[in-house]
Amino acid sequence: MNIEINGNPISISKDFENATLLDFIRDFAGLKGTKFGCGMGLCGACTVHIDGVAARSCQVLVEEVGDQSVTTIEGLAMADPAGSFHPVQQAWIEESVPQCGYCQPGQIMTAAAFLNRNPDPSNKEIKQAMNGNLCRCGTYERIRKAVARAAREGKINARN
Amino acid sequence: MLETDAISMSRRRFLKKSGWLAAGVTVVTALSYPLIRSAIPAIPTRNDPMPEDGFAWVQALSDGHIRFFCPRMEMGQGSPLGLCQIVAEELNLSQSEIECVLPDTNQVPHFKMTVGSEGIAKYFEPVSFGAAQLREKLRSIAAKKAGLPREKVEDSLGGFLLPLGRQIGYGALVPSEPLVLSADDYPSSRKALPRYALLRRDKYQAIGQSWKHHELEAIVTGQTVYARDVSLPDMMFGQVLQPPTFGSLIKSVDVRAAEALAGVLEVVINKEKNFIGIVADSPLVLPEAIGAINVHWEISEELNQDQLDASLDVDEFRARDEFEHILASDGDIGAGKLRSQNAVAARYDTSFAAHAAIEPRSGLAWVRKNKVEIWCGSQDPFFVQQRVAKAIDRRVDDIIVHSHRMGGGFGGRIVCQASEEAAILSAATGRPVRVQWDRETEFQNNYFQPSFSHHINAGVTDEGTISHWQHDFVSSPILTGLVPPAIGWVLDKVMADEGTARGSLPQYQMTNRLVRYSDIRTQIPIGAWRGLGSAPNTFAIESMMDELASKSGIDPLKFRLQNLPSTSERLTAVLQRVAEISGWGQVSPKNTGYGIACSVYKNETAVAIVAKVHIDHDASELQVNKIWCVQDCGLVINPDQVKNQIMGNIVWGCSMALKEGITFEAGAVEQRNFHTYEILRHGESPEIIMTIINPTNAQSTAVGEAAFAPVAPAIANAVFAATGKRVRRLPMNFDNIYSNSGS
Repeated sequence: MNIEINGNPISISKDFENATLLDFIRDFAGLKGTKFGCGMGLCGACTVHIDGVAARSCQVLVEEVGDQSVTTIEGLAMADPAGSFHPVQQAWIEESVPQCGYCQPGQIMTAAAFLNRNPDPSNKEIKQAMNGNLCRCGTYERIRKAVARAAREGKINARN
Repeated sequence: MLETDAISMSRRRFLKKSGWLAAGVTVVTALSYPLIRSAIPAIPTRNDPMPEDGFAWVQALSDGHIRFFCPRMEMGQGSPLGLCQIVAEELNLSQSEIECVLPDTNQVPHFKMTVGSEGIAKYFEPVSFGAAQLREKLRSIAAKKAGLPREKVEDSLGGFLLPLGRQIGYGALVPSEPLVLSADDYPSSRKALPRYALLRRDKYQAIGQSWKHHELEAIVTGQTVYARDVSLPDMMFGQVLQPPTFGSLIKSVDVRAAEALAGVLEVVINKEKNFIGIVADSPLVLPEAIGAINVHWEISEELNQDQLDASLDVDEFRARDEFEHILASDGDIGAGKLRSQNAVAARYDTSFAAHAAIEPRSGLAWVRKNKVEIWCGSQDPFFVQQRVAKAIDRRVDDIIVHSHRMGGGFGGRIVCQASEEAAILSAATGRPVRVQWDRETEFQNNYFQPSFSHHINAGVTDEGTISHWQHDFVSSPILTGLVPPAIGWVLDKVMADEGTARGSLPQYQMTNRLVRYSDIRTQIPIGAWRGLGSAPNTFAIESMMDELASKSGIDPLKFRLQNLPSTSERLTAVLQRVAEISGWGQVSPKNTGYGIACSVYKNETAVAIVAKVHIDHDASELQVNKIWCVQDCGLVINPDQVKNQIMGNIVWGCSMALKEGITFEAGAVEQRNFHTYEILRHGESPEIIMTIINPTNAQSTAVGEAAFAPVAPAIANAVFAATGKRVRRLPMNFDNIYSNSGS
């Protein structure tokens, strides 16, 4: 059995077939950017993309992923041929969003999938879309600004 | 005279340490001797820094970089970045020329635990002192090398400027080994050393700039290594069976089924230490192996919330008129009551609370014959070092703690219990072992903010001054919450816990004032939580101020201003400013209200908050729409970081006010994950407007916990303005506004 993570096919050892996608990503694939927060799908720290859609990797079993492709925070920038940062990551840098930073990979993955679906969101839509991702340091307002900035600058790029 | 004495005292202390600097070995302490070692409990690292401590934190490297061993741990508060800017100011550096390192415990002498919003306030001085002295040492080397007097060697970016426009970088002055400071470099007097961080007030180069954090790009790309992300080759995976209730003891245990599982290497049992742990070759085996342990617990304590509430009930203490500590006793309460035109007596309650940092703690340990290494995230790595030494009965000096950025601290990581568990398992197996707590373990096995119950009895004269103020409260010891119970019991006899009392003396003028409290140790583990007593105490004080204003028919802002002494200029200024930016006094639409509150955190940082709330009757919701904040924290090193901290404090304050409460049943925590312990979510977080007042010639003061305390009372006061209902118990929500309120 194989699984594709960030464009690379990885064969799954038998031990990990019944593991959660989160444990597989962290402890087998060795990609530590995806975080464990609650183990119940309540906080969003473990958010990845499965075929471009945001998913809680602590609630998905490896065997359920099948032929779909998984993108983690480490692979997000690869979707953007222009530079080393995805526009959402770039916006996070511009707005200096993080405090402790632990939840931010999950926030960024949620935001990136959301903007793919809705490239021109209202403030209210941003709040709703991000509501499932907890930040204990309280960076919510900068997250809102960063998502709005990424949307704005994404539009400018599209026009050019 | 004083200056000379100060130097000779501190110099003696410094010389004791200089052996460390020269030889790279730790000082031999009493803790090294086994007999004494076993008798002394591990205690958190408490000493404030001395100016000369900064000598150990800065080094010049031959590649031109300055290495800064940052004596503050990073948990998102950002003080390491601010301290880098102070280093840069003294040494004329750009950000890329500083290598900021969270030091291992064997790289620098002990430093105080990272607590109390002191990162800049207390470390500005030693960091500036060390960095300035390194600059002057480099200047002497440059002068010698060029054959010039020191005065001819002028400052330049990343080095010096010599006559005829010749530049020389720091790297050219350093041989292959890092250049460090030693006792011989101590200046004849501290005043003789020019300190750019003090002198350049109107032309700072690095201070006052919004540098971006050196780890920012790593964080957003998932490259930052938190303690949970560390791994070693051949690492094994451990988990400890946690007791089901506080204080329960292992009576008997059968581990045969667990041992028989494929992948389980060893089951480690130490009944004396009440310890059963598994070591396995895969993390995936651990849940099943832990579940397969058959253990009979001796349950000693089946404490529940009603019992706790009863033992911390201020009304009970008042009925007996029995409080352990008197914080203030001025004038005559009885005489004050006679002058009172409008009196109010009210009780206020706040809940037990958890830190709920998003990264549950984790530790990696590798115990070898001559060396023990720990990788963890802790606010006090030297305390971790001591506690690990005790857990595996080794010399403190054998243990090296490698510190990692924490996924949130908030006072909850003074200890890292997972590191101690990993050390015990590694000692038993000789393999590196990783222990990661899950969310449920984190909730049940850490320590908590205690609940507070307050009773305030106060009044207003016909001139609008405070006639009397009697405030009684009961909670638990916080600063000494972590000491073992046997010692705690003795400590409590002689000590009033200052953490519990933090913020309990009002800033207002009161001729007749009595403030009393009791700090009662219960079975619940208690420790530091953001701001300690400041938020619960400010909730009571600032709610009562609002009640007094309302009862006297005086505007709440005006009532505060007219009762502040003339010496409270900074608090007066933030109050006036927050009124300006929030448009205080405007008429609010139906079901909408504005509330105001203020405090001075640690008697240093003045903060005023205005909250705007809306009651949505259709949705049965209490919504906090907007918060305005004005803060005066003296000299601001990095405005963007300070704003981020203010924002975090406001969100934390909303969360405390609206969401958070821990309760206990049958000796255990009832809330084990984020569906039952809810913290503020994105959709509930308000719009935030803030202004920082940056007064001239004021020293930097506390930021990390400062803006938090007045948030909850500002919200409660806004709810009163919107509904006429007074909220006196936190957390509050739509339902309990209408059910629990007194008026």
